[in-house]
Amino acid sequence: MDLTKEDEKIYSTLNLGPTHPATHGIFQNVLTMNGETIVHAEQTIGYIHRAFEKIAERRPYYQITTLTDRLNYCSSPLNNIGWHLAVEKLLGVETNKRVDYMRIIVMELARIADHLVCNSVIGVDSGALTGFVYLFEEREKIYEIYEDICGARLTTNLGKVGGFDRDFSPEVIAKIRKLMKDLPKVLHQFENLLIRNRIFMDRTINVGGISAERALNYSFTGPCLRAAGVDYDVRVMEPYSSYSDFDFIIPVGQNGDTYDRFCVRQTEMWESIKLINNALENLPEGKFNVEVPAFYMPPKEEVYSRMEPLISHFKMVMGEINVPQKEIYSAVEGANGELGFYVVADGGRAPYRLHFRRPGFIYYQAYPEMITGSMLSDAILTMSSMNIIAGELDA
Amino acid sequence: MIEELTGKFGNEIQGVEADADIPTLTVDVKGTKNLIAWLKEERGFIFLTDLCGIHYPEQENELGVIYHLHNLTANKRLRIKCFVSKKRPQVDSIVSLFAGANWMERETFDFYGIVFTGHPNLTRILNVEYMDYHPLRKEYPLEDATRTDKDDRFFGR
Amino acid sequence: MSDTNKYNLVEAPEGYSAPGFFATSLDAAVGLARKNSIWPLPFATSCCGIEFMATMGAHYDLGRFGAERLSFSPRQADLLMVMGTIAKKMAPVVQQVYEQMAEPRWVLSVGACASSGGVFDTYSVLQGIDKVVPVDVYVPGCPPRPEQIIEGFMKIQELVGNESLRRRYSPEYKELMKKYGIL
Repeated sequence: MDLTKEDEKIYSTLNLGPTHPATHGIFQNVLTMNGETIVHAEQTIGYIHRAFEKIAERRPYYQITTLTDRLNYCSSPLNNIGWHLAVEKLLGVETNKRVDYMRIIVMELARIADHLVCNSVIGVDSGALTGFVYLFEEREKIYEIYEDICGARLTTNLGKVGGFDRDFSPEVIAKIRKLMKDLPKVLHQFENLLIRNRIFMDRTINVGGISAERALNYSFTGPCLRAAGVDYDVRVMEPYSSYSDFDFIIPVGQNGDTYDRFCVRQTEMWESIKLINNALENLPEGKFNVEVPAFYMPPKEEVYSRMEPLISHFKMVMGEINVPQKEIYSAVEGANGELGFYVVADGGRAPYRLHFRRPGFIYYQAYPEMITGSMLSDAILTMSSMNIIAGELDA
Repeated sequence: MIEELTGKFGNEIQGVEADADIPTLTVDVKGTKNLIAWLKEERGFIFLTDLCGIHYPEQENELGVIYHLHNLTANKRLRIKCFVSKKRPQVDSIVSLFAGANWMERETFDFYGIVFTGHPNLTRILNVEYMDYHPLRKEYPLEDATRTDKDDRFFGR
Repeated sequence: MSDTNKYNLVEAPEGYSAPGFFATSLDAAVGLARKNSIWPLPFATSCCGIEFMATMGAHYDLGRFGAERLSFSPRQADLLMVMGTIAKKMAPVVQQVYEQMAEPRWVLSVGACASSGGVFDTYSVLQGIDKVVPVDVYVPGCPPRPEQIIEGFMKIQELVGNESLRRRYSPEYKELMKKYGIL
């Protein structure tokens, strides 16, 4: 929007960020305001640019998993498994059903973890701090499950190309079952605090709305697009990891405003609970990973005693493995939307080019359009409901 | 659909890979915007999934821009590539067609130096403004050459 | 009425005590008060910030150590907790925030990225915040567990409790500030 000379005399400028308690993450917005109403917003990002795409040109495929952890770090397993699916697509590896169902359980747990953060933070930004403390306790339980599966709490580096490192132990399955029994009670308590609360509804309905046409033009995906009314979910459009075996609904909103985004995320959590329960009941028998000879070192006893495992171990570490020379684009439904990986492989150990299609980066462009004409407190709530994670923004 | 495209835009399409994971077209840079506009208006590719750059130093036209389009109702994806030379790296901007291309083109400019003509605000987005080179080109190293606390001998560089 | 002799809230500093009075040095008394009521400024940039949110949550509870009141304004904060990767674009902001803090002030660098650049040895990441601000305690980890962040915080408490009241006028402190270009 172009501001004329007269405008600049009566408008004031307010700097929101990069360090600000309500912008969860570091990005800057310089707002031009007419009193309390926002007229224009100028965005600056890149305060945490860590050059993932350049680093990835140097790292072998299995080491890039640690980079994907740090994209949307509230739901790291989703990014990890998305990357493994991309490499499996590149190599042409098919996983068995057990691996698929185990992956679905972990991915839906990650989605619940991310939505717990986002919804509790919407509560915090509108003044309701209690929900945050209750929901973070549930997040601790999810962290314990991750620790049992892969050893880490937050940046999980979970699984490997072809499956997992070890099977789900009985303790893990017991923990997941217990969490699925306890989580609905806490979610109900949290919902009763906010969803039909007069103050919360007044603060979030018709705030930061966007129409479906503009959202599609801005390449929105994920809960923000579904809140605007378009039912696009990568799990349904291009099912991966046996999602087509399951029956789940895609929640869709009407106005694309903050309240719709909150409710869409809340409903997605309920659907994820259903999916996890379903997958756990029907977990098929089988091995927890699929052999991918290009990447997995043979067991140590064989390396030390037979010739072929020794040679393949040596070749793998030295980087002489067979990776086809082609390019693929693979997408998963991340917690914020379509997380895509565009990999160009040149036959070597590391990809020639890797590009992350980060949903947060793409839909954050629409933020000035969503807040022009509203007040400052509405702008804060819109930002937290869009779940902008700085790692995903800058990569 | 590929046959229809080669029929209509035949003189601009330089290569077709129909057996890649999604249909891929390599297009001459002058016809890219018209092709994408036609696909958006006439064939329902209303969603721009991604826009990124790439650098192949051995080719004559070294820098490339890669578009991923998606037809949501028919669930079809399409990849379009166009290449430009380093001396004249100019591509038409598609911000007028897809508002989401704004930051994607800025990121491609920041990393590769490809200039998008017609872009409303083509400035660096992720790197610092005073950076004077385009880091993702293959000739530049990953590390910051001016750092003093890391000894390259131990890092295998 | 509960028997308060059973609970020891804080360790008393060394001093002479007799019925009706307790004599100790002013440094120790002020240090005791300061170290149990530090007001941190959480400068959370990335993944370590989420572990900090877990540390502030009910399970690990940094509030037990007196750090319940987070201050996002540097003018009212004692401890700058830098958590997460600092890119070169962000480095001047960290220095500006540090300059705005009133003395006495301490800096806790949480995570491998803030301590030394971490995994990201790239052209855009600052290899450690000690290039722009003087750091008191480093907490390594990627991300460090909440228990480690609390241990780092307890080490800061030790430093705070033992700090001399005249430190800011000492020549070493002035040298240090000049080295970083902070007036």
